[in-house]
Amino acid sequence: MTLATDGANGPAPLPTDEDGKLTLTLRVNGRTERVEARAHHTILQVLRDELNLYGVREGCGIGMCGACTILLDGRPVSGCLLLAPQAVGHEITTIEGLESPEGELHVVQQSFVDHTGFQCSYCTPGFILATTALLEEKPDVTADEAREYLAGNLCRCGSYVKIMDSVLDARDRLAARRTGGSGQ
Amino acid sequence: MRGEGANDPVVTERFSGMVDARQRVTGDVGYTIDLTLPAMLHAKVLRSTSAHARIKRIDVSRARQVPGVVAVLTGADLVNRGDLQPYFGPVYRDQPILAIDKVRFVGDPVAAVAAVDLDAAREAVDLIEVEYEELPAVFTIDEALAEGASLVHEGPPRTGETFADVIVKPTAGTNICNSFRLRKGDIEVGFAESDEVFEDVFTSPPVQHVPMETHACIADVSGGRVTVWSSTQIPFVIRTQLAEIFRLPQSKVRVIIPTLGGGYGAKCYPKIEPLTAALSLVTRRPVRFHLTREEEFLTITKHGVRIRLKTGLKKDGTIVARQSLCHFNTGAYADIGPRLIKNGGYGTGGPHRIPHVAVDSHAVYTNIVPAGAFRGYGISQAAWAYETQMDMIAERMGIDPLELRMKNLLDDGDTVMTGEPMEDAHFKELLADATSYIGWTPEDHEPVRDGSKVRAKGFSCIIKGTVTPSTSTAAAKLNEDGSLDILTSSVEMGQGLLTALAILGGEPLGIGVDRVNVSTPDTDVTPYDQQSSSSRSTYAMGTAVQRAVREIRRKLFEHASELLEVSVDDLEIADGAVVVKGVPERALDFGAIVRKTRSGNIVGEATYRTEGGLDPETGQGIGSVHWHQAAAAAEVEVDTETGKVTLLRYHGGVYAGRIINPVQAELQTEGNLAFGIGQALYEEMLFDNGQLQNGNLGDYMIPSFEDLPREVDINVLEYLPADEIHGIGETSLPPVMPAIGNAVARATGVRIVDLPITPEKILRGLRELDARRATAEEVPIR
Repeated sequence: MTLATDGANGPAPLPTDEDGKLTLTLRVNGRTERVEARAHHTILQVLRDELNLYGVREGCGIGMCGACTILLDGRPVSGCLLLAPQAVGHEITTIEGLESPEGELHVVQQSFVDHTGFQCSYCTPGFILATTALLEEKPDVTADEAREYLAGNLCRCGSYVKIMDSVLDARDRLAARRTGGSGQ
Repeated sequence: MRGEGANDPVVTERFSGMVDARQRVTGDVGYTIDLTLPAMLHAKVLRSTSAHARIKRIDVSRARQVPGVVAVLTGADLVNRGDLQPYFGPVYRDQPILAIDKVRFVGDPVAAVAAVDLDAAREAVDLIEVEYEELPAVFTIDEALAEGASLVHEGPPRTGETFADVIVKPTAGTNICNSFRLRKGDIEVGFAESDEVFEDVFTSPPVQHVPMETHACIADVSGGRVTVWSSTQIPFVIRTQLAEIFRLPQSKVRVIIPTLGGGYGAKCYPKIEPLTAALSLVTRRPVRFHLTREEEFLTITKHGVRIRLKTGLKKDGTIVARQSLCHFNTGAYADIGPRLIKNGGYGTGGPHRIPHVAVDSHAVYTNIVPAGAFRGYGISQAAWAYETQMDMIAERMGIDPLELRMKNLLDDGDTVMTGEPMEDAHFKELLADATSYIGWTPEDHEPVRDGSKVRAKGFSCIIKGTVTPSTSTAAAKLNEDGSLDILTSSVEMGQGLLTALAILGGEPLGIGVDRVNVSTPDTDVTPYDQQSSSSRSTYAMGTAVQRAVREIRRKLFEHASELLEVSVDDLEIADGAVVVKGVPERALDFGAIVRKTRSGNIVGEATYRTEGGLDPETGQGIGSVHWHQAAAAAEVEVDTETGKVTLLRYHGGVYAGRIINPVQAELQTEGNLAFGIGQALYEEMLFDNGQLQNGNLGDYMIPSFEDLPREVDINVLEYLPADEIHGIGETSLPPVMPAIGNAVARATGVRIVDLPITPEKILRGLRELDARRATAEEVPIR
């Protein structure tokens, strides 16, 4: 992945204001957003503090728990490990971007609702985003493959059994939709 | 409560799910950390690098110079103000808001900064200079109890208002901050009557709760009031303690609790609220404090425990005596340790019919992270001891371990360890279901070998009390459109409390969850609840809510009786209306009754109090309003070359009385399995001279998908004739660890008595076994 700050001769210096802040233009959930951030601020921090997107949450701060998962050009990344300037030029998707404009839940979200694939739900946006990426990558994913793929997302309430029910049901609904079924 | 719902409309459809599911999958649920107040500052804390030391000097002058810093606060500042009571704690007031004179563990908050943003606060914290004069420190129970040991706290503990069930008996001049004693029957007689006596020692390490949402608090001290938004399980204790600290009437303190991102006991009792409020006081601005994961590890733990268990039996396996000596390492501050040792202590009596029981249980101060409430509340540690020992005894006596348990498990009418008669016992049924799932038979449970891998089965059965006595109060309002508001201070932390109370609150009026709203706690508005812990909320608050709604129903009937000119006895409820029995067309819907009587709303309120408590000398009395029951069975595979344990199959059984929300009941039980796997196999906070070695999620693993067994079977046992709700939030956790441990021991011949069951311990045990076998072979058999 090429990141915005990677120039051929190392990172180019970025202009900052007197408060040490950069003005960044981000693409978030299909919209263009201008935000102020210091160079060391993570995208997690910026999405929450500047854009009020509270579905992305810090759990560990070191990329181990998956609670801050966002999609960067459709691939899951830890928001706590990605500096905000590195996200410039990429399409960011957060949980807030999954619903249709009419407010219809994404199939994966609906499956999580139908199976109650959560308890405290702090980790849920991360699981749902990782699952949507997984099902894009592998529409016919098996339970074992899903387990391995989602092992980087932690749920301390331990809702794993019902999360897996949700994931596999979402897989089947999406498959039914592709083959012209009702998707329900 | 039994019999109270006799006149409730019959519920035909059972709701299963979560009422706020949509918010939970859209990221819209709203935790404390999602709140922002105008002019809000951000807090950071400097923590002690020494385990036990006098503070010689703190220099905050450079920190104060950092642009954006509004205040830097030390313990001395708090004392010098003179208007604060700077100590807190749910039993003893032994924990300073910031270290005063000395620090007691690595991680103890020493100074705090409030600044316009986190960058400034962090920079300032790095510029604070502290000079310590090191003191001898104690980390283990043995070090803390040694003759002449350095004292973590000098002088008698500062006491204050606490819970009704807490018995306070500190031992002056030692690190023992509280002791619990239980004497049932005569232990000496019991051992004298025993044919066999077994004595073993078991340990459990400190572990962390790791709620995905770490502790967070926003405080606003202004207008003569203290307002905090906090991720706490216990709003009214927070209110009491803040009132004490700020010397205010309780009515001048307001505690508001958004939903929690997990709690598991970590968020019981004050933690960061006093400091956040103190920073708001000195800055005159709202302040937010949100712990990093590393700080969460330095805030509260499960107790590390050592239990010496002595059990006497008749030849036929009947247990006649059990004595336990329990030492709970409660860390640098008592937190709720002085109460937890009671549950953990009596808990060692187990779900067995034992005429003679003696328990001595102690909370011991040390210079490590404070320990407190943790899902299971001492029972996990107790169950690890007695359910491991049950298998060891079975093996030594040559009795089938299932038979040994079945012979001794409590039946209705037997006396439990605290002396009250057992009612509504389901232990045997739960254990029979569990062992039947894994296919346990006395004839066929030899380990199965496949190359280096060996499989075997294990099981366990436990008893757990719920805090008794306790109090919950609730209010409810029936609105002009017939919808219902429930006001409660019970906390939603993922256990589905809002949903459970919506279901229960709707029942007396026969309305569904779509017409019921359940509040989140706000001590200005919502009535008292003792605590959202101890698996009590659905039962205790659920009962209070139902009583409040039945009060509304009584008023509705009275109004309808006047409006319809019939006797109250001739009325019933159907489809959101009060109807004249047998005359369905003579009906008034709830909203119409509210409107026609110009009531505005119809209000009901109610209290539910349980009675009980234990004698301070004998530990006899009413230990629990009812007894929670669970069993588990596991099949494991151990790789004898690597020591790796794989959990293949698991059955978790728990007694629920009446199930309120089926999917949530399963989730809690499945969640306890995940929670327990970590504690069984690898979770352990490792300290080196008091310095935590693995306080982050890179070094401290918690269970992921890969740790779960492929086959999970859950039995949430419902028994409607009992007409009672049993809490299940914690109950199915304690059996997980011994079920796995017993299976591993059966597979390998290696009996591990110290949690967690790591590959290293298994391999070491296998090597010792090999060495012993080799030695045995050299000795000619005569």
